[in-house]
Amino acid sequence: MSDEKISAAGAPVTAAPQKHRDPLALIVRFQSLIGLVLVAIGGIIFSPRRHGEILFLNPDNIANIVRAVSETGIIAIGMTFVIITAGIDLSVGAVLGLSSVVTASMMISGGFGLIPTILAVLVMGIVFGAIQGTISTRFRLEPFIVTLAGLQAARGLALVVSGNQYINISYGDGPGLAPPVFAVLGERLFNNTVPVATLVFIVFAAIATIVLNTTRFGRYVFAVGGNERAARISGVPVSMVKISVYAITGFAAALAGIVHAGQFNFGSANDGMGYELTAIAAVVIGGTSLFGGAGSMVGTVAGTIMLGALANILQLNNITPAMQLLATAAIIVLAAVLQSLVRRREGLGR
Amino acid sequence: MRTITRASTLKAVLLAGAGLCIAGTADAAEPLVKACAKDGQFIIGFSQANNAEPYRQHVNDELEAAAKEVPGFTLQIADGAGNVNTQTSQVDNFITQKVDILLISPFEAAPLTPAVKRAMDAGIPVIELDRKTVGDPGKDYTAFIGGDNYKIALEAGKYTAKTLLPDGGETAVLEGLPSSTPAVERLNGFKDGVKENAKIQVVAEQAADWVPDKAQVAFAAMLQAHPDIKVLYASNDMMAAGALLAAKGAGKDVKIIGTDGLPGPAGGIEAVAKGDWAATFTYPTGAKEAIEMSKKILLDCATEVEPTVTVETTAITAENAKQLMGK
Repeated sequence: MSDEKISAAGAPVTAAPQKHRDPLALIVRFQSLIGLVLVAIGGIIFSPRRHGEILFLNPDNIANIVRAVSETGIIAIGMTFVIITAGIDLSVGAVLGLSSVVTASMMISGGFGLIPTILAVLVMGIVFGAIQGTISTRFRLEPFIVTLAGLQAARGLALVVSGNQYINISYGDGPGLAPPVFAVLGERLFNNTVPVATLVFIVFAAIATIVLNTTRFGRYVFAVGGNERAARISGVPVSMVKISVYAITGFAAALAGIVHAGQFNFGSANDGMGYELTAIAAVVIGGTSLFGGAGSMVGTVAGTIMLGALANILQLNNITPAMQLLATAAIIVLAAVLQSLVRRREGLGR
Repeated sequence: MRTITRASTLKAVLLAGAGLCIAGTADAAEPLVKACAKDGQFIIGFSQANNAEPYRQHVNDELEAAAKEVPGFTLQIADGAGNVNTQTSQVDNFITQKVDILLISPFEAAPLTPAVKRAMDAGIPVIELDRKTVGDPGKDYTAFIGGDNYKIALEAGKYTAKTLLPDGGETAVLEGLPSSTPAVERLNGFKDGVKENAKIQVVAEQAADWVPDKAQVAFAAMLQAHPDIKVLYASNDMMAAGALLAAKGAGKDVKIIGTDGLPGPAGGIEAVAKGDWAATFTYPTGAKEAIEMSKKILLDCATEVEPTVTVETTAITAENAKQLMGK
């Protein structure tokens, strides 16, 4: 019943047909896909070759690229929801660290089984995010500040839980050992081709895409980011939506933490340092507006993989890490400038 | 996952078997790298844990200098940027590139272990520098070259117990990044070393994450709480530099011990020569030893190498600092 009003509220920013007329808007809409294609073409052209084989396209190399980005990708998926509501979540890297530590210590020192551990860690992530969302909406605080505090809190908790030590995960049956099946997160499936971590990323991305694009909740997310007042007037439960998106980033960070622990057989309070920034970069490159109200999951996935492919091709050519940072910087600026140009044309930006 | 591991091991065994058949020398020891040759061209991939630490930059510099001496060697360095995920992916890139030898300083042990195994399975000898992955050198990886963090800090502790504070007194420790292996080993080493002298107490230990600014703040606070601290052990040179600023600020004459013994104007050797610090204990890079070992494997077709090479620490004190400065 309220759906009509909501889409009306979200119309100025989410109505796709108008955007398509502007070629620049079209480019921005698909910028990360275009970017990914460009990087891939560049990768093929500049790839070192061995006996005529293009190393960049080597199946192991592709698997390596998509495995390496899976953790930041999972986080970026969650971050996309938050950024569409014009929010930000800086705590995700730290929550990943906390989650990997809790995962390791529950199984190794706590003697918990795999399923209870995973459930507990995921719930912890959701609760952590929901608390941040609640504080932010209840006290009308900038999410930047609340999640900055959340980052510190999560790192602090991770140090407390780990007792300042890294926790190795050993496998086997019995107390103090993790079930061997957990190590599957570091393996590849389907004839040793598809990394399991990547599968988790892709499945999570698919679910998130469906939630964002086809459910009422997804429309609420766009509406809150597009025009919060209009959304409120139209009957969107704004606070609830905001709290939910932070719960989603918390869940995503916890999921990434579990994947991290499984991939690396290890929990350390320092895990995931700086991941929040990589994830935000991937989301922005993916075309999601930091002003809120517009964004796409496919864009985020493409942006994530693009950054991974870029790092890969630069390393294959033995180009210094300094150049990698500069290249990433240039791409972020380019993506942001394109977005701002479109906003100005639509009369939204200043 | 078990089956996959087994399958790839089986594959490796079969491939190795095929190689042996072709060579027709089933009994004679095989060289570690079959393509070895006196005048060959070889790529050495070095997976560094984190270039942002001056010590690691120092390792890179020494490796580059040593590799340059060998005409056929090209050294490629990838920076793991303090992130096990990035570093794992870089090791996999080196495997894709089929480098001839992999040198690695894993940021953390367990997380990099599977990547090292993949390199070994791909027939690439792995020399671990300064930090180990899980398993045994000579079996799970080709060799380990490095210093011993615990022993180095133990030496620093003994030096404090015997030479700096024979009559006892209060000491304090600045620890590296909590939770990181060398931070824990150096902390424990020092604490065990000073136990030689029962009159010495460790009254404060704080983490300063290897960086000077945090060390300055932490040590200033320590001096407020414990004005009688006589010796400070800093787990690396950079933190010792920060601690010196704090001691000067508080107007205290504290004997500072660094770790790493880095060269250059910002390094520990010069600080000791100038009399700012009491001592620093070098953490040897093992760079020369690593390139030497690479030469044995790639140029001299070695069939085996020393699985563990421990490079000893040198105590840099007022006596030898000036003389070592030029080196």
